[in-house]
Amino acid sequence: MPSTTTTGIETDVAARAIGATKFYGSGDTEVRALDGVTAEFERGHFSAIMGPSGSGKSTLMHCLAGLDTLTDGRVFIGDTDLSTLSERNLTLLRRDKIGFVFQAFNLVPTLTALENITLPMDLAGRDPDQEWLDRVIDAVGLADRTSHRPSELSGGQQQRVAVARALASNPEIIFADEPTGNLDSTTGAEILDFMRDAVDNLGQTIVMVTHDPVAASHADRAVFLVDGKIVDEMMEPTAEMVLDEMKLLSRR
Amino acid sequence: MFKLTLRNLLDKKIRFVLTTSTVVIGVMFVVGVFVLTDSIRTSFDELAGDIEAGVDLTVRSPLDIGDELDRVAVPQDIAEIAETVPGVASVDGRVVARNTVISDGEGEPILPNGPPTLGFSWFPTQFFIIDGHQPEKPDQFATDATTASDNDLVVGDVYTVSGPTDQREFTLSGIFNFGDPEENKSIAGTTMAAFELTAAQDFLDKPDSFNELSVVVQAGADPAVVQEALDAAVGDDFEVVSQQIKIEETQSDFNAFISIFGNVLLAFALIAVFVSAFIINNTFQIILGQRVRELGLLRALGATGRQVSRSVLGEAAMVGVFSTVVGIFLGLGLARVLRSLLKAGGFSLPDGPIELQARTIIFAVAVGMGVTVLSSIAPARRARGISPMAALSDSVRLTKSGLGRRIKVGATMVALGWLLLGLGLFAGLGTQQLLLSVSSGGILIFIGTTVLSPAFATQISRILGWPIQRLFGVPGRLARENAARSPRRTSSTAGALMIGLALVSMAGVVGQSIKKTFVDTLDNSVQADYFVRSTAAGFDPTTGFPAEVEQLVNEVDDVDLVVGYHFGLNSISINGSTKNVFTTDFSAGTDHMDPDVVAGSITNGDPLGSILLNEDPAEDLFVGVGDTVVVQFPDGAVVGLEVAAIYADSAIFDNYVIDNALWNEHFNRPELLFLTASISGFSDDLPEEQQVALLASSAEAIRNVTDEFPTVSVENRVEFRQSQQAQLDSFLITITVFLTLALFIALIGIANTLALSVFERTREIGLLRAVGLTRRQLRRSVRWEAAIVSVFGAILGVGLGLAFGVAAAIAIPDTAVNTVAVPWGSLAIYVVVAAVAGLIAAIIPARRAARMNVLEAIATE
Ligand SMILES: Nc1ncnc2c1ncn2[C@@H]1O[C@H](COP(=O)(O)OP(=O)(O)OP(=O)(O)O)[C@@H](O)[C@H]1O
Ligand SMILES: [Mg+2]
Repeated sequence: MPSTTTTGIETDVAARAIGATKFYGSGDTEVRALDGVTAEFERGHFSAIMGPSGSGKSTLMHCLAGLDTLTDGRVFIGDTDLSTLSERNLTLLRRDKIGFVFQAFNLVPTLTALENITLPMDLAGRDPDQEWLDRVIDAVGLADRTSHRPSELSGGQQQRVAVARALASNPEIIFADEPTGNLDSTTGAEILDFMRDAVDNLGQTIVMVTHDPVAASHADRAVFLVDGKIVDEMMEPTAEMVLDEMKLLSRR
Repeated sequence: MFKLTLRNLLDKKIRFVLTTSTVVIGVMFVVGVFVLTDSIRTSFDELAGDIEAGVDLTVRSPLDIGDELDRVAVPQDIAEIAETVPGVASVDGRVVARNTVISDGEGEPILPNGPPTLGFSWFPTQFFIIDGHQPEKPDQFATDATTASDNDLVVGDVYTVSGPTDQREFTLSGIFNFGDPEENKSIAGTTMAAFELTAAQDFLDKPDSFNELSVVVQAGADPAVVQEALDAAVGDDFEVVSQQIKIEETQSDFNAFISIFGNVLLAFALIAVFVSAFIINNTFQIILGQRVRELGLLRALGATGRQVSRSVLGEAAMVGVFSTVVGIFLGLGLARVLRSLLKAGGFSLPDGPIELQARTIIFAVAVGMGVTVLSSIAPARRARGISPMAALSDSVRLTKSGLGRRIKVGATMVALGWLLLGLGLFAGLGTQQLLLSVSSGGILIFIGTTVLSPAFATQISRILGWPIQRLFGVPGRLARENAARSPRRTSSTAGALMIGLALVSMAGVVGQSIKKTFVDTLDNSVQADYFVRSTAAGFDPTTGFPAEVEQLVNEVDDVDLVVGYHFGLNSISINGSTKNVFTTDFSAGTDHMDPDVVAGSITNGDPLGSILLNEDPAEDLFVGVGDTVVVQFPDGAVVGLEVAAIYADSAIFDNYVIDNALWNEHFNRPELLFLTASISGFSDDLPEEQQVALLASSAEAIRNVTDEFPTVSVENRVEFRQSQQAQLDSFLITITVFLTLALFIALIGIANTLALSVFERTREIGLLRAVGLTRRQLRRSVRWEAAIVSVFGAILGVGLGLAFGVAAAIAIPDTAVNTVAVPWGSLAIYVVVAAVAGLIAAIIPARRAARMNVLEAIATE
């Protein structure tokens, strides 16, 4: 049974959006990027957010991760209501509880691979858990590359460093926005396998934005967004199922 | 293509502002200085006309060398003769003297720092009463409006006035405007005291005589005809000059003053331009780096290399035009600001219109356009080489010229620079060539060092950044790596700071060496126990105090010997070239001042027929003890003087010394520069308590006398040394403050570069913020990056400045500098100040970086 806290929020939910609404612009140029999204992302699960271009996937992720603020509604990380946090506390929350993987430009060019991986902990002035760090680095297969700078790594290796960084601080949740968008399918598959592995064996929680059905098939669950609304969701998706669903949605 | 260039400029407003700001500053300074000096010159020219208006002809004695006030006085009988010449309507004798110091109501002497303190006989065409009346009785005086209002002088009150020979009490009868009925045009803090004619003759030491006669011709008479008749009447000992000549002389006097002042300001303006050139070049390089991708895209779409490079040049030209125009307008403002600053600093100048001459505009355009277009030639050439591939590849870099070539070019420039510098300093060139050779050498060294320094900028930045990283963790690490990541940028940003600090450090080394030399000389050659000098600060060798003081000090019981000293700047002529002359009492020998006599004896000298020479000029003149040197004095007398002694130490005595008796014979200046006194029975061999007691009692006895004279101060050896050092210090501080201007511009450069770097790293910053870098940490990393770059520049600058300073100290004649002393403490402080300044310069860029929206930053292409 899920335990409950005083806020009444169940703690096995890592991230949650309630009536999340986001407008951009105003008047004639107003865009509803999110239109009352309510969703939960469970701890220890690998979730995919799917949808056509412009459907609000990135916006949802940014708002869940505390990078952007909602126009209306609320989002929680664990049982923390992000709308109650100051800018500084949001930053600290990101640093300590959230991991990120972006589509590109994930690494600080002046730092080595290892320094990039430990960056959030270094920022916090915390010593990394050496055992965990070794495990993560080992898992991404970069043990012999840790002292290289990003410019000396391939795109796939860079992306693996980014995933390692997201994992290294053992955050409550990792958000990934099209992490394989810039990679060829083999390298992409490698990264996805690795993320899958992190969820299964390391107990991580990952929320990934993608519009690649193959990528989504690595997830436990796929949520479909269209015009800022959740229109469908699918457990244990396969590439075919997702592709069919996408075709269906784009015809609407 | 043009449209694109324009669009580019307009789209990136901040970048545009950053780029133009440095050029604007350079142009602004140049224009400001030109406009200020032109305006001052014009108002002085007008003033000269005003002053001389109403006087048709002037009778005076001729003067070949020396100061205007060294002219031999015109006696009363010449005035009487002049009055009888046909066509002459009136003859008015005039008296002028320096060192006429008024003390204010509190008894404090009114001593402007530098400008003269003049005493006059009342002259109605120049003085216009605005309060009270003109001085009519022997115990009355009038003063100019500025002096009166600045010092709260009130008509009817009694004030002490100190003159060339003594001091007296006078009642202020009136306050006047000088030069113009409406407005006081007294110059630059000069104080004026005017007396009724006979009072002036008495008090200003012109018994029954005048400095000159002002003649007005009868209505209808031709001044030229009258001039001829007058010239014949006054004889060969006197000359008659027209109003026109007088005006021109006054103008050229003013002009000499303005030129010195203007040249100093111009030198600083040019330093400002040079520093801004560094910054603008740097800025263009950075901007080009940021545009590589975009330019690559243009190339991919079919733009030729020429078109691309032309678009870069075009952008620079537009920046140049815009900055020049803005700079000219701001320069006009700056001229006004400078003028009011000078006024606030007690250096008031006649008001007049602000004047923008064509020459100023041409110069401004040359500076503004020249600096920008020249700075963009190299980037434009590199832009031409950008390949279309740049648009496609992810991490684009401009190809940098190889390190090897860089080292070669830089080292060659530095070597050539030192060669020129050495040539200038040691080859004995004329002033003009010397300045040219030294400044071009300096410029080459600066540029060469900047070309060279990227070779080690990365390593040095890492070393400098190490403690910061230890201290601040990740922000420190980021600061360190960001400073190290582009050595070229770090070097050229630091380059601007380097120049400023090199100049300041050089001044520091030279100043410290001067001070050390001076102190050593005092310790070695000064034997007197007390020094009496004018309280007027500064280095003006024409300051002085009443001659009467010498007599009074001599009458003090404890005092056994008093020696007075005079100094004449460029006041004698030997072999056709003018020299300074110093005086002493030969009879005192080396009792008070020991210049290290190497041949002959001072006491053997005949007061009226001997001269003492420093060994250098003695060698140049091929004379030894007993030989004769022919000397011409300002009064026209040519006298053969026998060399009585030759001495080695010229620090106090300068190169030529005559006896006070000879001075009084040929110079009209009884006032003393300073005097020394020794106490009877005092000796260094006495027990210490006895020494102290003796000094205390005698000091009191001397002060009892001198306290009457507000313009005079008494110091013992230690105090004298301290006060002389303090004077040198304040002079050095003034120079340093001026040079700080270059530092200020360099700081704008640092802020500028950082802002551009931050802009360039937008995505990186966004990423760092996303993964948890707090705003504070981000600001900190930007600030410490600036500190590292600044300290890098400071180290280069202090190093170069040290080398320049040592070279200069060696080159300066031994009279002023005979040892090299380095103010290590100050140099260390400069480095710390640079670091702090870097932190300050980074405040705005750091804030901008911290304010950046994380999401937008991540999304930036
Ligand atoms: N800063 C912004 N200002 C205005 N509108 C925006 C902004 N950011 C996003 N939008 C709009 O919000 C909607 C959702 O954008 P979002 O980036 O979330 O889409 P997405 O699903 O991530 O698309 P893609 O798959 O192309 O990345 C779009 O219509 C977009 O135009
Ligand atoms: Mg998106």
